[in-house]
Amino acid sequence: MMRTCQIVSQKFAIEDAHTLSIAQEHGAYDTLAKCQEFTPLEMIQIIKESGLRGKGGGGAPAGAKWALMPQDSEQSSVLVVNCDESEPGTFKDRQIITKDPHLLIEGILLTCYAIKAQDAYVYIRGEYFQFQKVLQRAIDEAEEAGFLKNINITLHRGAGAYICGEKSALLESLEGKRGHPRLKPKQPEPEWYFGQPTLVNNVETIASVPFIIQNGAEAYRAFGTEKSPGTLLFAMSGHVQNPGVYEAEFGVSMMDYINHYGGGIKNGKALKAVIPGGASTGVITAKEAEEVTLDYEALRSMGSALGTGGMIVMDESTCMVSVLKNLLEFYHEESCGQCTPCREGTGWANTLLGKILNKRGSSADINQLLEIADTMNGKTICVFAPAVSSVIVSFLTGFRDEFEVMV
Amino acid sequence: MNQNIEIIVDGQTYEAEENSLLIDLLIKHEIKVPYFCYHESLGADGNCRMCMVEIVGQKRPQIACDTLIKPGMEVHSKGEKIDTVRTNILELELINHPVDCPTCDQAGECSLQDFYMDYGLHTSKINVQEKVTHAKHVDLGANVMLDQERCVLCARCTRFTDKITHSHELGIIGRGDDARVSTMPGRPLSNPYAMNVVDLCPVGALTSKDFRFHQRVWFLKSAEAICQGCSTGCNIYIDHNKPKYRDDTVYRFRPRRNDAVNGFFICDDGRLSYKALEENRQRQTLLEGQEIETDAACSHLKALVQQHQGNITVIIDANLYTEEITALLVYAETIKAEVTAPLEFYNDANFEDDLLKSAQCAANYQSVLDLNLSTQAPDKKGLIINFNYPEQFHADTVVSFNTHQGAQASLIFPIASYSENSGTLTNKDGLEQFSKKAVTKNSPSPTILEWLERLKQ
Ligand SMILES: Cc1cc2nc3c(=O)[nH]c(=O)nc-3n(C[C@H](O)[C@H](O)[C@H](O)COP(=O)(O)O)c2cc1C
Ligand code: SF4
Ligand code: SF4
Ligand code: SF4
Ligand code: FES
Repeated sequence: MMRTCQIVSQKFAIEDAHTLSIAQEHGAYDTLAKCQEFTPLEMIQIIKESGLRGKGGGGAPAGAKWALMPQDSEQSSVLVVNCDESEPGTFKDRQIITKDPHLLIEGILLTCYAIKAQDAYVYIRGEYFQFQKVLQRAIDEAEEAGFLKNINITLHRGAGAYICGEKSALLESLEGKRGHPRLKPKQPEPEWYFGQPTLVNNVETIASVPFIIQNGAEAYRAFGTEKSPGTLLFAMSGHVQNPGVYEAEFGVSMMDYINHYGGGIKNGKALKAVIPGGASTGVITAKEAEEVTLDYEALRSMGSALGTGGMIVMDESTCMVSVLKNLLEFYHEESCGQCTPCREGTGWANTLLGKILNKRGSSADINQLLEIADTMNGKTICVFAPAVSSVIVSFLTGFRDEFEVMV
Repeated sequence: MNQNIEIIVDGQTYEAEENSLLIDLLIKHEIKVPYFCYHESLGADGNCRMCMVEIVGQKRPQIACDTLIKPGMEVHSKGEKIDTVRTNILELELINHPVDCPTCDQAGECSLQDFYMDYGLHTSKINVQEKVTHAKHVDLGANVMLDQERCVLCARCTRFTDKITHSHELGIIGRGDDARVSTMPGRPLSNPYAMNVVDLCPVGALTSKDFRFHQRVWFLKSAEAICQGCSTGCNIYIDHNKPKYRDDTVYRFRPRRNDAVNGFFICDDGRLSYKALEENRQRQTLLEGQEIETDAACSHLKALVQQHQGNITVIIDANLYTEEITALLVYAETIKAEVTAPLEFYNDANFEDDLLKSAQCAANYQSVLDLNLSTQAPDKKGLIINFNYPEQFHADTVVSFNTHQGAQASLIFPIASYSENSGTLTNKDGLEQFSKKAVTKNSPSPTILEWLERLKQ
């Protein structure tokens, strides 16, 4: 059974909840007083206990990341909210910033209190121009109402590069440089923005904080599974009756979700495959979709990943070769171009698949695709290339026969 | 302080500082590792992914340029597994590379060629024809030409203009395989060290407009010398060759690494100063403008010395080797001449910067100071014997020993230039450095020491 949960979507159905007055009527900013009961370190402890996991795709425990932020730094700390949302199939953060922007602002204020930051930046995808205006208006209203006395919130528009969603590329971009991911640090440490310790979290992660502070870690853990506590704004697109964004708790069955909220597959067709969590997660077959539950562990055990929870649903009429071609065109376009395997591999794989799709390929070309995928896996600066690699492998594992008949 | 620890590479034990970069150890001990993007002056960028090694206990191969040395570390720098990884990445590097080596000036000193010989000699797996095309003849400014197609996007050149010169002219634009090096419109490459990017570029993407197409590099011989542009004394290679039927010629100067002086770089003025070496050379011995036998010239000078007893000044140029200056001091004493080494001509505050260039624009400036030589204009005006100082002085009689034409003197002796001669120089920090002879001309001009020897007879 689907239990209704509204941790971040509680005001989505309320008309004009993006305005301060309506939002406040429904409890916005109530937690600001409540958080004064806790010290910053106690706040971080609550987040740790809640088991909140990052909702930008990686699912990293948020509390542990917050705890990396120095509490007594000479350089003041910075919060950066990742609203780049460029992963194909993902459109959940924009629900928050348009329907309940004050929830995000409230979350920002709470988080800044916990990590002792005075400056917060929201890095927003350039194409979200209309949505950005809504968020900016909300920030202005909060400012006028005196909520932002101690904290500056700055909206920063990206220039339309997918890679700028990767946190270190995002920070480079925010610093005014090219959006190139940085080399990973050798030990756990914060991110850095102009040499200042920085926390980067997804919009939805931050928007989940007010609920947890208001209701406590246990209330959050009441949803979801032991290892994937809480909820996610799962989303559906593709061949479903009712595509959209619906909050659900982790651990529900994928098919229950698709049937309950999505109204099942469009036009009574049969399901063929699902890309479970945004384009960068490996595709799973209908059979696997029948078995899987929507949590990090279950999808990982299937060789895929939960990612952003944005499901792309495909019915029996779908040509999987074309789908992969579509994805590879995207990756070819979006590779930042730093690492040789990714820069050249995405292009080569894309061209090669074009050859196969035009019936000019051979079965050696299919194997070559897998070899390219192997060279792209685990040998690059960021996980863009490994993700592309796993996507290629998943298509060729689940649907190899469709490729074979083309050559 | 990090302490020295031991690690094992390919079964052999090496000592290294804890937390230093693994790639530095490999380079130092000449353990073969292919790399494009790493450079000791620029640090790690980790983009080329060529420097992969196996580290025992790690699931995946790691890049040596971003691996810190830890106690007990065990590394495999070769073997089938790592060679396959390198081969595959190299293959990707080549997929959009034009491979136009026959017309590429880098051929012979190209990392991509070298790595191909090490890891690429196999049947190509490249099964797509189209290559991404880019501009092939971009004049970046400052004598630097760019071929975007040959570029491996190692970002050494852009990091040089970011981190070393802070002039930021070069950047990479475009994403994925559309990425390419470029300048901003209307803002060409222009800084006093720009041509170093040609040396930094591991492939033939950046070539020197001054040098390209003049010589294939495998014909060149290199001599370890010192730049004479200023008193910094940057270490250089003089690359020269004697093509068939022609004279031994200098084709370029290249920086030679010396961490105590110039690191990896030299300034463009110094680099291009080789041209002046060859132009307008004084090759003949002249008396009042007429060529004369060298023996006769020597006798003539000796007679002049007799004639002007007690009224002679010897002028020493601050670019002469210390050995020459010392010998001239002895000579001056024997003929009872006064000595001066004017520096006026060599002071140029505009030349100075905070990287390498010094305001004292003579190579042995410091020796003149150390020897406490007079730097005044000569006051004894009977006979002046000027050893290559470029300014002219008036006297009853002027005799001049010159590398280059232009002296106003009744008697002129040609001398070897510094590239045709070796010797010691003291740089502005008091460091003594030896500069080796590079060029042997078909008819060499004698050195100052050789002339002095003949004057004794
Ligand atoms: C190629 C790539 C694109 C990404 N895009 C986004 C994005 O659009 N939004 C986002 O929140 N995180 C994105 N991420 C994840 C971020 O790097 C980062 O992990 C995340 O913002 C951290 O927040 P969280 O812990 O709250 O999820 C991306 C990662 C990669 C590798
Ligand atoms: S893996 Fe791809 S996207 Fe990530 S840094 Fe390397 S080239 Fe850029
Ligand atoms: S031009 Fe040369 S140095 Fe610059 S990025 Fe390309 S290959 Fe590297
Ligand atoms: S800084 Fe001085 S010594 Fe160095 S290359 Fe330039 S002119 Fe020559
Ligand atoms: S030298 Fe290590 S990645 Fe390029």
